[in-house]
Amino acid sequence: MAEEDDDPGFDEELDDGGNGIDSGHGKRKRLFSKELRCMMYGFGDDQNPYTESVDILEDLVIEFITEMTHKAMSIGRQGRVQVEDIVFLIRKDPRKFARVKDLLTMNEELKRARKAFDEANYGS
Amino acid sequence: MADPARVKNEQATESTSAEKSLQVENAAEASSGTKAPVVSEATTEQVTLKDEDRMRLIKDEDEEEGPSSAPRPPLKKIKVEPDKKKEKRHKIDEDEIQKMQVLVSSFSEEQLNRYEMYRRSAFPKAAIKRLIQSITGSSVSQNVVIAMSGISKVFAGEIVEEALDVCEKWGDTPPLQPKHMREAVRRLKSREQIPNTKHKRILFH
Repeated sequence: MAEEDDDPGFDEELDDGGNGIDSGHGKRKRLFSKELRCMMYGFGDDQNPYTESVDILEDLVIEFITEMTHKAMSIGRQGRVQVEDIVFLIRKDPRKFARVKDLLTMNEELKRARKAFDEANYGS
Repeated sequence: MADPARVKNEQATESTSAEKSLQVENAAEASSGTKAPVVSEATTEQVTLKDEDRMRLIKDEDEEEGPSSAPRPPLKKIKVEPDKKKEKRHKIDEDEIQKMQVLVSSFSEEQLNRYEMYRRSAFPKAAIKRLIQSITGSSVSQNVVIAMSGISKVFAGEIVEEALDVCEKWGDTPPLQPKHMREAVRRLKSREQIPNTKHKRILFH
């Protein structure tokens, strides 16, 4: 099973349906190809990552987002996704939790800075 | 978490189209806005680095606070903080920032490139928003999109790191192959770091 991925005939449109990870998403247009390539390089991969690997990662990310969204819809206010739900779902994972807190804090500061700037401009 | 890209926010000379995320803390701390906080179109999680901004990764200027019309001394902040804990956390942040700057300044060209890609890459907000909205069927706030893209990036990073571990363990070389990715996913699944609600567990069988 480990060697089947080295087959040069691998076509990124078709997925080997036997594996639950990347089945069923083959026909959808690739949403994040460019960004994921840069991201993989940033995280340590080669400067030109394999397209198949990028595809697998994209499927994983989309599945992750889908799962989180479904979970968030089922807690807190039903049928809606709110930030508090996401933070709640992430609470056990220290990295993601810290990252979300940082992002939201930074966003608040940016909004404040923007507002202060606009007011300063308005005066002049 | 300290942002090593905190930039010296001097007076109006700096208010170019420089990325505001680099100057976030400074801008936010300025209570009376005597300096013009630089506001450009940078997004929160992207610390975009232009070439001259790379140098700013290395320079460190402390934040300046408080209303003052006189030109401020550009160095150490001299303010009385009412909260001792906040001051201690600032000190820890300062240390971390300085360490990061020492580190970044000693990067080779290739390392700098990779670091820039690491900080700069992000998922497009529009696509994420579209994806979430197609699942929920109703609209979501901007904060949700920000949080979700941030978490997804961390998630992608975890997988790539694990796959690199697998790759090294199996004695292969970098461009990651699908087999490494799959093994990484299998390992993360066993550690329950990958959410999976497809398998329905029957409680009392």
